[in-house]
Amino acid sequence: MLLTLPSYDFISAPLWLVTVLHIVTLTLHFLAMNFMVGGLAIVLFGCFKNKQANPIVEKFIRAFPSMMAATVTLGIAPLLFVQLVYAKPVYAASVTSAWFWLMIFMVAMGSYYFLYGAAFSKKFIGIKQRVYLIIALIGFVYVSFVYSATFSMSEHPDVYQALYASNQTGLVLNPNIMSYLFRWMHMLAGAVMVGGFFVVLLGRDNEQAFIVGRRFYLGAFLVSFVLGIAYLFALKDILRLIMRGPAIWILTGSIALSVLSVFWLYKRKIVLTSIALLVSFVGMVVVRHIVRLIYLKGSALAFDPAQIPFQPQWSIFIIFLVCFVLALAAVGYMFKLFYGEQK
Amino acid sequence: MNYPFWNVDIGYGVLMASIAVIHVFVSHFAIGGGLYLVVAETLARRNQDDEKLNLLKKLSKFFVLVSVVFGALTGVGIWFIIGLLNPGATEVLIHNYVWGWATEWTMFITEIAASILYYYGWKHMSGRNHIIIGWIYFIAAWGSLFVINGIITFMLTPGEWIQTGNFWDGFFNPTFWSTLWLRTGVCIMLAGLYSLLVLSREKASDFKVSMVRFNAIWGLAGLLIIVPTMYWYWHVIPQTITDTALKMMPTPIKSLTASFWNVGAIALLLIVFGFIIPRRLHFIAALVIMLLGLSWFGHFEWMRESIRKPYVITDYMYGNAVEVSKKDVYKKQGYLSEIKIRTGDDGKDLFLHSCRTCHTLDGYKPLKPAFNGTDKAFIKSIVLGAHKLKGNMPPFWGTKKEAGLIADHIYKQVDQRDLATIYGLSGQALGAKVYEVRCNRCHEIGGYNDKSEALLTGATEESLGMILDMAGELAPEMPAFTGNAQEKKALIEYLLTVKE
Ligand code: HEC
Ligand code: HEC
Repeated sequence: MLLTLPSYDFISAPLWLVTVLHIVTLTLHFLAMNFMVGGLAIVLFGCFKNKQANPIVEKFIRAFPSMMAATVTLGIAPLLFVQLVYAKPVYAASVTSAWFWLMIFMVAMGSYYFLYGAAFSKKFIGIKQRVYLIIALIGFVYVSFVYSATFSMSEHPDVYQALYASNQTGLVLNPNIMSYLFRWMHMLAGAVMVGGFFVVLLGRDNEQAFIVGRRFYLGAFLVSFVLGIAYLFALKDILRLIMRGPAIWILTGSIALSVLSVFWLYKRKIVLTSIALLVSFVGMVVVRHIVRLIYLKGSALAFDPAQIPFQPQWSIFIIFLVCFVLALAAVGYMFKLFYGEQK
Repeated sequence: MNYPFWNVDIGYGVLMASIAVIHVFVSHFAIGGGLYLVVAETLARRNQDDEKLNLLKKLSKFFVLVSVVFGALTGVGIWFIIGLLNPGATEVLIHNYVWGWATEWTMFITEIAASILYYYGWKHMSGRNHIIIGWIYFIAAWGSLFVINGIITFMLTPGEWIQTGNFWDGFFNPTFWSTLWLRTGVCIMLAGLYSLLVLSREKASDFKVSMVRFNAIWGLAGLLIIVPTMYWYWHVIPQTITDTALKMMPTPIKSLTASFWNVGAIALLLIVFGFIIPRRLHFIAALVIMLLGLSWFGHFEWMRESIRKPYVITDYMYGNAVEVSKKDVYKKQGYLSEIKIRTGDDGKDLFLHSCRTCHTLDGYKPLKPAFNGTDKAFIKSIVLGAHKLKGNMPPFWGTKKEAGLIADHIYKQVDQRDLATIYGLSGQALGAKVYEVRCNRCHEIGGYNDKSEALLTGATEESLGMILDMAGELAPEMPAFTGNAQEKKALIEYLLTVKE
């Protein structure tokens, strides 16, 4: 009965299309996550004067659970695509750190409930709420750290090979801390920066919110800039390759745009700020992607996604696109119904 | 075998079940509950029944908190856990069904947004628009069931896909439709049972009576769909699978039987409390009904998962990620060269990738008790003859040398004293134990692959002794008898008493 069974070593849409979808959804996921994590940090440590009365704080706290829903929902798609294209290294790294990896969703669930706990309470912002929010934030710090450690490890097959050989219980994390510490802190600082932006955006007509948001935006920009440069130099072995490819231009452009966005924010040009921020954000996600490709290609796996055979499944792909458009339309329609009646 | 192996002391079946069971409970409830809420809301608004609307409002808060948060995150959790427990199979599924999953994701986005807006919309939205959002929620939620159902059923019955590799052949596979309606029935039933539970806390009143009745009808309607679709489902599974299960797979069959009892009990309780004494519906009674519902569903899922053994994807990949298409490669080169990420201990690697997915040493489906008091040669034969044991295990396609390495690895960890010492037995009782350990897994007396006739017709002490001496030559998978002289004598003694 030995037929030739169907192969699974293929991707069912052109790689560029998968990559575009991957980067777009990952960007959206990061934005939602940054709104939430950065927002949490600012709400907690923003030193809003007269907190009880400040509507922006309440607005954020009420929005956190929905932002968490958005973060999770938008995170599923890029996780799917990363597992599709980079199955071998990504699974290998996550199995090696299995317990930490598995705890991600449990910790996220815990944080989610704490966000709800804070959002449902009557008082803004009381001590209980503060504690809830801090717990949620600690949860997110955990999640982000494990993601950084694991995805960074997936880019270094020799690291997970060695780590697995020494321990198979799943209770070990990427030991190569210098390869991801700056990367992780850079991402968190970036989250605070984007959080600052959202504070400004939601608090447009609230002078205090504007000032607090702007301060965080600038501060976090500076910190994340320094960390980003540190991360870049920590990439020493592949820095040369980055310098030679398009990545360095995208990176430079993104940094320049971030600087401009700070400038525009201080000029109170919100639209320009948002555009500059968004474009530079996408640029950063693309650079992150290129770094992964360079690492994997140079690794012992010599992995290059371009080599995965292409075997199209257009019919279901088109159904997916149609459903995607329908979903966006449905969500838009529901928002219209919802807010249409609120006024 | 392309991946590292998570060597955790908890059984993989238990790990998987502990997340999956919670998720399927919540997710089916999330679908049925959505339908329940819009239908009930429509009726309540038509009758301008404020009491009922208030109750629904209360229900929907819980509903969002449980179904959205818990449902969504445990869904992510399932995805994490399958990637850890069987990355190979997950890879196969993702490569074939990525756009199916992506389509499900579009439904999921809609579902999450709708549930949040539905909940917050109670305060200010008009009845009409609120109900529209409720319907969008339900349609998206059921749509996501539709899509994921294709992928889940594919694993048991890949159907034509095995030949064609075509997406749709695998998606609309033989068990697709029956399972879809079966699960729809489950959604409806769970919605009814859950709302009964909430209602049981209200004080007795005419309102309570009418609502209990309403909810009991949901429960019964769900059951009414479940029973025939379950029958349908069982009969569209290829007969080779169901026959094998009946013959040699204790786990799924036990679950199936338990699930029948549950259905009967739920139906009975629903009729009694729904129609005869609705006023008396106490919290405890409602809780019992709910637990029975969950127990039924848990048994069903357990059956569905375990009946697929030894495969994770029928005819394509075994539970331990051994790929059917690589049979020749394995047989020629062995497993080791296919195990890409190594621990440095060959016996351990082989053991992890051949056996550990389904067994632990001490806990879940433990191997130590099975091998305590035996020897390397015996363990090696069991590895080589694994597919002949009761339980429907995958064949071992590695080399003989590799089987030996697994045996060494297991033997190091078992109790190496002889059976008489370990269990403190002698004579006939010891013989029974020897039979249990060395024979019963492949030949149950009066049961699975019984050989007592060949063994015992006209048997004498000498003839049995001879058979045991040449046991290794009786069949390729049959182990030689490698027990000590005392054990041999006891076994013969025992067999002779069985003969009488
Ligand atoms: C796909 C899953 C799977 C794999 C892989 C597997 N087994 Fe099993 N094994 C089972 C099941 C199921 C049973 C039946 C036990 C039950 O249902 O309680 C079983 C039963 C056994 C038993 C009898 C246990 C008893 O107490 O009666 C032994 C011994 C055994 N397996 C050894 C092995 C060895 C050695 C390997 C590796 C070469 C292996 N199994 C691989 C699923 C598996
Ligand atoms: C690994 C599984 C396995 C174990 C353990 C095992 N057998 Fe067998 N046995 C087989 C297989 C396979 C056959 C032949 C094919 C068949 O009918 O299943 C067989 C055949 C037999 C036969 C029939 C031979 C014939 O000519 O018809 C006898 C008798 C027998 N076994 C006795 C025993 C006894 C006694 C023990 C315990 C000491 C034992 N077996 C343990 C797998 C096993």
